Amino acid sequence: MGVATTRTVTLDGVDGHLVDVQVDLAQGVVKTALVGRADLAIQEARDRCRAAVVNSAYEWPSTRRVTILLSPADLPKRGSHFDLAIAAAVVCAQATTPTPGLRDVVLVGELTLDGRLRAVPGVLPMAMAAAARGVHRMIVPEPHAAEAALIPGMEVVGVRSLRQAVAVLRGEPVPAAPEVAPLALGRVMSWRGDRRTEELDMADVLGMADARYSLEVAAAGGHHMLLSGPKGAGKTTLAERIPGLLPDLPLEESLELTAVYSLAGGLRPGETMVRRPPFRAPHHSATRASVLGGGTGRVRPGEISRAHHGTLFLDEFPLFSTDIVEALREPLESGEVTIARGEEAATFPARAMVVLACNPCPCGDYHPADPGHRCICSEVRRREYRRKLTGPVMDRIDITRHVEPVPPHEAHDPLAVPETTATIRARVSGARLRMRERYAGTPWRLNADVPGPELRSKWPLPEVADRLVDEAVRRGRLTRRGATRVHRLAWTVADLRALTRPGPDEVDVALRLRAGDPLLVASLQTEGGP
Amino acid sequence: MSERAARAALTRLAEPGDLRLRGVVSELGAQRVLALLHDEQDVRGVYTDVAQRLRDVDPDRDLRSAGERGIRFVIPGDPEWPATLGDLDRAGSVTDRGGEPLGLWVRGPLDLSEVSHRAVAVVGSRSATTYGAGVAGELAAELAGAGTAVVSGAAFGIDVAAHRGALAGRGPTVAVLACGVDRAYPGAHAGLLDYVSRHGLIVSELPPGCSPTRLRFLSRNRLIAALGQGTVVVEAAVRSGALNTAHWAGRLGRVVMGVPGPVTSAPSVGVHELIRRGEAQLVTTAEHVQELVSPMGQWLTQSPRGAEIATDRLPPAVRQVLDGVPVARAVQDTSIARAAGVSVHECRSALERLRSAGLVERSDRGTWRLRPAEATQSVLVAGASPARRPGEGDPSP
Repeated sequence: MGVATTRTVTLDGVDGHLVDVQVDLAQGVVKTALVGRADLAIQEARDRCRAAVVNSAYEWPSTRRVTILLSPADLPKRGSHFDLAIAAAVVCAQATTPTPGLRDVVLVGELTLDGRLRAVPGVLPMAMAAAARGVHRMIVPEPHAAEAALIPGMEVVGVRSLRQAVAVLRGEPVPAAPEVAPLALGRVMSWRGDRRTEELDMADVLGMADARYSLEVAAAGGHHMLLSGPKGAGKTTLAERIPGLLPDLPLEESLELTAVYSLAGGLRPGETMVRRPPFRAPHHSATRASVLGGGTGRVRPGEISRAHHGTLFLDEFPLFSTDIVEALREPLESGEVTIARGEEAATFPARAMVVLACNPCPCGDYHPADPGHRCICSEVRRREYRRKLTGPVMDRIDITRHVEPVPPHEAHDPLAVPETTATIRARVSGARLRMRERYAGTPWRLNADVPGPELRSKWPLPEVADRLVDEAVRRGRLTRRGATRVHRLAWTVADLRALTRPGPDEVDVALRLRAGDPLLVASLQTEGGP
Repeated sequence: MSERAARAALTRLAEPGDLRLRGVVSELGAQRVLALLHDEQDVRGVYTDVAQRLRDVDPDRDLRSAGERGIRFVIPGDPEWPATLGDLDRAGSVTDRGGEPLGLWVRGPLDLSEVSHRAVAVVGSRSATTYGAGVAGELAAELAGAGTAVVSGAAFGIDVAAHRGALAGRGPTVAVLACGVDRAYPGAHAGLLDYVSRHGLIVSELPPGCSPTRLRFLSRNRLIAALGQGTVVVEAAVRSGALNTAHWAGRLGRVVMGVPGPVTSAPSVGVHELIRRGEAQLVTTAEHVQELVSPMGQWLTQSPRGAEIATDRLPPAVRQVLDGVPVARAVQDTSIARAAGVSVHECRSALERLRSAGLVERSDRGTWRLRPAEATQSVLVAGASPARRPGEGDPSP
C-alpha cells in the first residue's frame, strides 16, 4: 500500500481546524520527515510515535523513507495530540489493504513511549470543530470520552492505547490495556474555590439596600459594575454572592464555557460539563497572561475567558497593572479576547460580567466626611490611586455603587427580612428569559450585549422616558455613551419588573444606577414587607 | 355618662381637629356637648355635620371592645395625658383643623406622657431615597438609643425608616396614625405596627376601626409636631406632608430642623427651602438634634475642627521667615532674611526657633534649608493630634 491518511484537529484558541495526517512510505534515503508547519510538540511526535509503534508490537518502517504531511500545509499546527493520528497513519500505511472509513474519524491523543495514550486538553472544542465540518466519529483518550460525547450526534470511542485505537479502526476485538490517568493541571490563578461561592446567600447581607438592588440588576442584564467603598464595607461579600444569583447556563453557553475549561485543563475529574456560571477572582498581582490569556508554549485562556458567561471580580482594581487595565478594554467591548503572539493568534470568548472593586485610597480607610478616619495616605497617593478609575475601562462600566459599612441601626433592625438568593435568582431568571425571547434570532443574549444603534432602532424608549435621558444629557450629567448605558439598564429594570417596555420610572432608576445616586426607596420595594 | 365616655363618643362623631367642637367642649364640657347633640341642638353647626353618625354612637361599647384589644383612651387630666398637647390650643388652625385633641386612643406598653417629655419627630417624604432613609434611620437609632422617643407617622419612606431605626436602637418610638390604632395602614406596614404596638406606642385621635382620609393625615400631622420638642425633616419634596408637620412645629414653637441632601435631588428640595427661608435649622447628626431640643446648656456639641499643625502656633514673623526658607537647596541666613523681608538679626533668632521646632535644619557650613517632607510630616503628627470624637479615649502621644 504505502500511503494512509488519518484526521485530527488543531486548535486556534477555541476555534478548531480539521487536519489531514498523511503518511507515505517510499523507497529512498532512510529518513522520517515531518512537514506541514508543525510546532515543537509535533516535531517531537516523530520520536514518541516511533517508540510507541514499536512497543505496541507493530513494525516501524525503518528501511523506508517516511514522509508525514500535515495538511493544509499553510496552517500552523500545535499540540501533542497529533501522536495518535500520526502513529495510526504509519501503522495503516504498512497494511496490505486500506483501512476503510479512516477519513471519517478524528483521532486525538498523545502517546507514551510504551504505546499508551495520555489525556490532552481541549477535546471538547476539537469535537465541536469536527462536528462542524461533518465528521461525526472520534477516537479519544478514555478520560475525554464523556466530554466529546457532549456534542450531539458525535460517536465517541474512548481508548487506552495505540493498539486499542488500531483495533477500533480495523473493527477487530479490542485488547486490554491499563487505565489512562485524567489531566492533572492546576488552576493558573484563583484564591477562592468556586464551590465556596455556591453556599453564600444574600440573606446574610444586612442593610445595603442600594447595593443589593444594583447587584440584582447587574446580574440580570450582565452589566459591568464598580463597587467602591472603604475596606470592610462589604464589597467582596456582595461580589461573591453574584454567582448564586445567576441561573444555570443554557446548553449552548454551557458548551462554550466547557470548551474553554477543556482547553485550560480546568475541568475537574468526573466533570463533563460546566453548568453553573463561573466566578473568577484573580488577585491584583496576577500577570497579564493569567488574566487575559497567553502563557509560555500553548496559549491558554485567561481568567477573563474562564469567567465567560459568569463573573470576573477584580478586587482592588487600581492595584492591577496598567497593562492589564488597558488590555481589558477589548474584552469588555467585544466579548472576546485575542492573544497575538508571533504568527499565532488565538481568540477566546470572554463575555463575562466584570465587577470592579476599589477602596477610597490605597490604605482603604479614607473618609472625606469623617474627621476621625485613620487614613495615612497622602493626597498625592490618593489621586494616583484614583487615576486608574478613569479612562477606557470606566467608560464601559454601567453601574457604579458606593458602599459604606453597614450602620448599627441596619445591622440591628428587628424587622429586617433580607431576601434570599433563591428569591432574587427567580427574578433574575425571569428577566433573563424575557431577554432571551426578545433577542431570539440575534447574536445577543443579555441587555448588556446589545449594541447601541440596534437598541435605539429596535427597542427604543417611549418618548416620555427618552426625554428624561435627553434632559440628563443636556444638563451635562450624562454623556452620549452613558445615555446608551442608561437605555440598556432601563430595559433590565423593566425586565426585572416584568414590564413590556421601560417607562420614565425605569429610566429614573437607570440614571441613578449609572450615576451612583441613591435609589428611591419605593423602587426597591418588592411586594409586601416594609 | 362619664367624661371619658363622652369624649370617646365625640371622637367617633366629629372629624379630628374640628375647631368648633373643640371650642364648645372647652366651654361646656364634653358631657354637656354630647347631651346637646343628642337633643338635636345644632351647636355651632356641629349637629348638622354629625347627625348621620349620631345614631350609631355607643361609647361604652367602644371603650369596652378597645380595652379587650389592649387599646386605652387617654383624655386630658389623665396622668398619661401629655401636657405639651395643650400648646395646640394656642397654635391656630390650618385648613380649619387644629386645637388640642379631645382624647387619644393609645396602644402599646409605654406611658405617653413620660415618652413625650423627651421626644423628637422625624418625618419626611414617602418617595424617599435610600440616602434619606439611611440618615433617618441613623438619627432615629441614635436619638432613641439615648432615650429620646422618635415620633413619626408610619408612612412609607422616611417615616418607616425612622421607626425601624428607633427600634433597632432599642429605644422608644411613637407612631401617630390617621386611622384607628387597630388598623394597619399602609397594609405593607402591618408587621412594623405590630412590632411597635409591643415595644413602643401607637397613637391616634380617631377611634378604632376608622379609615384614613387626606384631611385626617393633615390633622394627624399637628399631633406629631406637638408630641415632641422638635421636628426633623429628612427629605421632603415641594409638596410633602412632612412640610405640613414642620409648619405645625413652627407654630407650636418647637424646634424645626432639616437634614440637607444633594442639591440635585428632588426629594430634598422642600428641606432646602425650609433651611433657606430660615424656618429650619440645619442638622446632620443626632448630636445636633440633641443640642437643639435639650434645655439650654445641657447638651453641647463640639464643632468640627481641622487638625492643628505645628506652624499654627508660630508667631507671624517666624512663619514669614519659614516661608522664606527655600525648599530644595540650602542658603545663607542673609539671603533668607532678604527673601522674607525681615532684618538679619530677627531672621537668625527665628531660624533658631524653627530649628528647635524641627522644621528647618542647618548644615555644617551654616546654610539653612527645610527639613525633608517625611520628617516634617512626622513632626506635624507628633506636634498636634487630629481632632477626635468624644469618648474615643485619650489621643495617643
